[in-house]
Amino acid sequence: MSVTEQTAQSLVDLGADAALVEKLYAELGELFDGELAQAASAEQVRALRDRWLGRKQGLLTATNDSWLKTAPRDLKPAVGRLQNKLKARVEEIVEQRGRAAAAAVVRAEPGIDITLPGPERVIGARHPVRIVREEIEHIFRGLGYSVFDGPEIESDYYNFEALNFPDNHPARDAMDTIFLTKTMLLRTHTSPCQIRAMEKTRPPLRYVVFGKCYRHDAPDATHSPMFHQFEAFAVDENISFCDLKGTLEHFTRQFFGASVRARFRPSFFPFTEPSAEVDISCIFCDGRGCRKCKQSGYIEILGSGMIDPALYGYVNYDPERYSGFAFGCGLERLAILKYGVEDIQLFFQGDARFLRQFR
Amino acid sequence: MRILLSWVKEFVDAPEPAGELARALTKAGLTVESVAEERGETVLEIELNTNRPDAMNHFGVAREVAAIYGRELRRPKVEFREAAKPAGESAAIEIADAALCARYVGRVAADVKIAPSPDWMRRRLEQCEIRAINNVADVTNYVLLEIGQPTHAFDLDTLGGARIVVRRAAAGERLTTLDGVARALDRESLVIADAKRAVALAGVMGGAETEISARTRNVLIESAWFDPASIRRTARRLNLHTEASHRFERGADVEAAPWAADRIAGLLEQLAGATVLAGRIDCYPSERRRTAIPLRASSLRRHLGIEIPPDEVERILEALGFRLDPREAGWEAIPPTWRLDVEREIDVIEEVARLYGYDRFPSRLPAWSGGAEAAPNARAEQRLAEAARSLGYDEAITYSFIGSAEAGRFGSWPAVAVRNPVSELQDVLRNSAVPGLLRAVEWNLNRGQNEARLFEIGRLYRAEGGTFSEPPVMALAATGRAKLVDFFHLKADVTSLLNLFAGQTFHVEQPTDSAYYRAGHSAQILADGVVIARFGEIHPELAAERKFRHPVLLAEIWLDRLYRLGLRQPSFRPLPRMPAVDRDFSLLLPEGTPFERIVEAAGRPPHLVRLEPVEIFRGEQVPEGKYSLLLRAVWQREDATLTDEEVNGYAREIVETLKREFGAEQR
Repeated sequence: MSVTEQTAQSLVDLGADAALVEKLYAELGELFDGELAQAASAEQVRALRDRWLGRKQGLLTATNDSWLKTAPRDLKPAVGRLQNKLKARVEEIVEQRGRAAAAAVVRAEPGIDITLPGPERVIGARHPVRIVREEIEHIFRGLGYSVFDGPEIESDYYNFEALNFPDNHPARDAMDTIFLTKTMLLRTHTSPCQIRAMEKTRPPLRYVVFGKCYRHDAPDATHSPMFHQFEAFAVDENISFCDLKGTLEHFTRQFFGASVRARFRPSFFPFTEPSAEVDISCIFCDGRGCRKCKQSGYIEILGSGMIDPALYGYVNYDPERYSGFAFGCGLERLAILKYGVEDIQLFFQGDARFLRQFR
Repeated sequence: MRILLSWVKEFVDAPEPAGELARALTKAGLTVESVAEERGETVLEIELNTNRPDAMNHFGVAREVAAIYGRELRRPKVEFREAAKPAGESAAIEIADAALCARYVGRVAADVKIAPSPDWMRRRLEQCEIRAINNVADVTNYVLLEIGQPTHAFDLDTLGGARIVVRRAAAGERLTTLDGVARALDRESLVIADAKRAVALAGVMGGAETEISARTRNVLIESAWFDPASIRRTARRLNLHTEASHRFERGADVEAAPWAADRIAGLLEQLAGATVLAGRIDCYPSERRRTAIPLRASSLRRHLGIEIPPDEVERILEALGFRLDPREAGWEAIPPTWRLDVEREIDVIEEVARLYGYDRFPSRLPAWSGGAEAAPNARAEQRLAEAARSLGYDEAITYSFIGSAEAGRFGSWPAVAVRNPVSELQDVLRNSAVPGLLRAVEWNLNRGQNEARLFEIGRLYRAEGGTFSEPPVMALAATGRAKLVDFFHLKADVTSLLNLFAGQTFHVEQPTDSAYYRAGHSAQILADGVVIARFGEIHPELAAERKFRHPVLLAEIWLDRLYRLGLRQPSFRPLPRMPAVDRDFSLLLPEGTPFERIVEAAGRPPHLVRLEPVEIFRGEQVPEGKYSLLLRAVWQREDATLTDEEVNGYAREIVETLKREFGAEQR
């Protein structure tokens, strides 16, 4: 009678004593080892598992029922130990073989085409004007500047008069103003916020302003009747031209990169004196001269200067005590330079092919 | 402005090569945009600031070069013989309005022979883009380019009474200017008149009747100083901007008037064979003197941030033509007559800084101890923009201008009109963000895009009782060809955006004002009884006009109202420890039973967490006048696991309520 057949009989029927029990389990162990050696494929391992561990038909279920459950009292501990030991061994080996066989199957499968794209879940684009604005705000917040906001519909007073543009002065013509009424207009620059901020705050102050501005320009690749500007200004005791230079150099390096050099040229704005036009070394050719910088090696980016003391008269600051600087620049202009955009109209068309380049 | 290098070199020894000179001028604020070789001449294109009319000529540029390099300046040659006959016997000059004309210098050149100018003069004029006319006219233009003083040559024999009166125009007076246009004058215009009539618009343009012609024999040269504001007003009113008005309105040099008259006389003798009569007729009622400006060393230091040695300050200012008197705290500086832009201490400080060299100032970052604050609502705007992007919307910025017809159709208030619109098609400020965004959608669809999802955050513009306001608004637009967008997509997106804001229950209802939305497919959302958003599919007619073949969805969010709610502040609630239980009911409901009413009817029985519509369908087995709703209810207890019996009881209650309220049938 083979050991397989013996598993169906009770130990009492088999006339088992301790030695026979040892022998029976040893034979079962050898039988398992033999069958294990034959089981190579995942299917064979699965058959092996069913034959030995199957809940109803399994050999070890049979020994559990016919040997262990019916074992005489004196033999029960030994049978239990042997039963558990063998079962644990079989389970461990079968499981291990099963994992290995499954892994072999997965390895053998052709796999998916990982070069196919996944279903697109699109993140919308930040408008380049917002990107530039957020970057500048970050730079100036780091220097302690608060953000100030003002209206786009301005009075002649804030846009011109309090900024020291005399009535009937050619500097007003240069602004190409869009008017709503005789005295109300669309601000031509963010500088009115200098006056508004100084009216609201006593020095020391530091502000940065962002917003839409308007000029009576026919739209083309380099002109737009609507554009965005930023303006930064500081007023305190002992603010000097050197502070203006330092702040602007910090800004241009942070914004355009550490290798960019700033150049300051004397200029004229009614609301600053001394005034300076700021150029940066051409970011396209590193200042060697190219088409973009018209061979000059420099690109004009912004207007700046020490706040003209005449402005302090409009806001009741003592010009003998306070001084300050201000500068401003078009955000589109910065975006055009930084990203190489070729036409300012692109900013206002809402063309997704353009916008998505700024995701 | 075009500047010929050979001409400048007549007055100063300029450095070589031209590029070096260009750099030095640029550094001093006379920006040289380009240097070009043209027909053997080096031409500098200089961009001048509006405050520097003094440098708007060759001698003026030479004066800057001399100051920058500390070199000697040579004035243009003024050489002629005067005849015995005094000019005063041939012409008389009277200034009737000394406020508008400070000085009027006349010279008489007799027996001129009108002829073309010599080649060298014609070439220079042409290289400066001035058309050559005849020797007399050309000489006045030449001197304008040379020393910047606008002058005029009258045919003396056409002047009634051989007399010049500088006065305001009489009301209704007319004058035909050199360009052949008959112009109506007003009391504000300053004219040059003879004994009877106006013969020239002072400082702007001469008159046709007294123009130099081939028959001209005797010339009266006018070289004057006119009030800048007056010239500007006249030029603007008549929209007549000339080389002369351009310079006068920026401020001419009162001392250049006699000098220019002499220079012209010399050239007319040389080139037109003129006999220059003796003496200038110089009407100069009260001499214009420059007042001294105190310049304190302490101010220089305070504004510029460094100590510039006093001898360097003196060297710079004297090179620029200032006269300096040392004082205890600094100097008294008298600016030169050609620098009308210098009036205050800060103007003088700028001159010092300019020639000292901006590049020589060290860079510093000023000390600061204050805090930095964001703009009000900046955080809310940023959250909205982020959320819209994460929902797949690209950010657009469209023009603040729209057409008045669009404004009438889409706006909720009368649009603010622009007095001088850039385009007649965009003649008002937007009172709605819809037209701009619709245009952008159209733009994309017309360029082969299969879908568009755009948002914009910006301002609208409104006038109320004489004041203007700029309410912020957010608008979204979505459409798709392959993936159709419907009302509920947009509702979900709008709700996601609104849910960024604090603890409100938003109420959805039919829109009260929805002319451009499709009826029955649009809604408005209220918080505390205030409409904060409107959204839905656009009206089919509007879609047809724009040739939209697939539904286009729009949303408008009134940010001023939304911002008042404030951003939602996170606040912690303990996580549920007990599992939630759900039950689905398949119900037949009468058509027209809104989901919101079902939720309201169910009320807030104990432990009910939410009711959600799982599926809705109509037709097939569903009888006419009914719709089928698969409703899911979810319950959860904080303190215990719900038993089946409890849940069954709750479920029964809900079903009973719906049967009672709406005649619902359970399937």
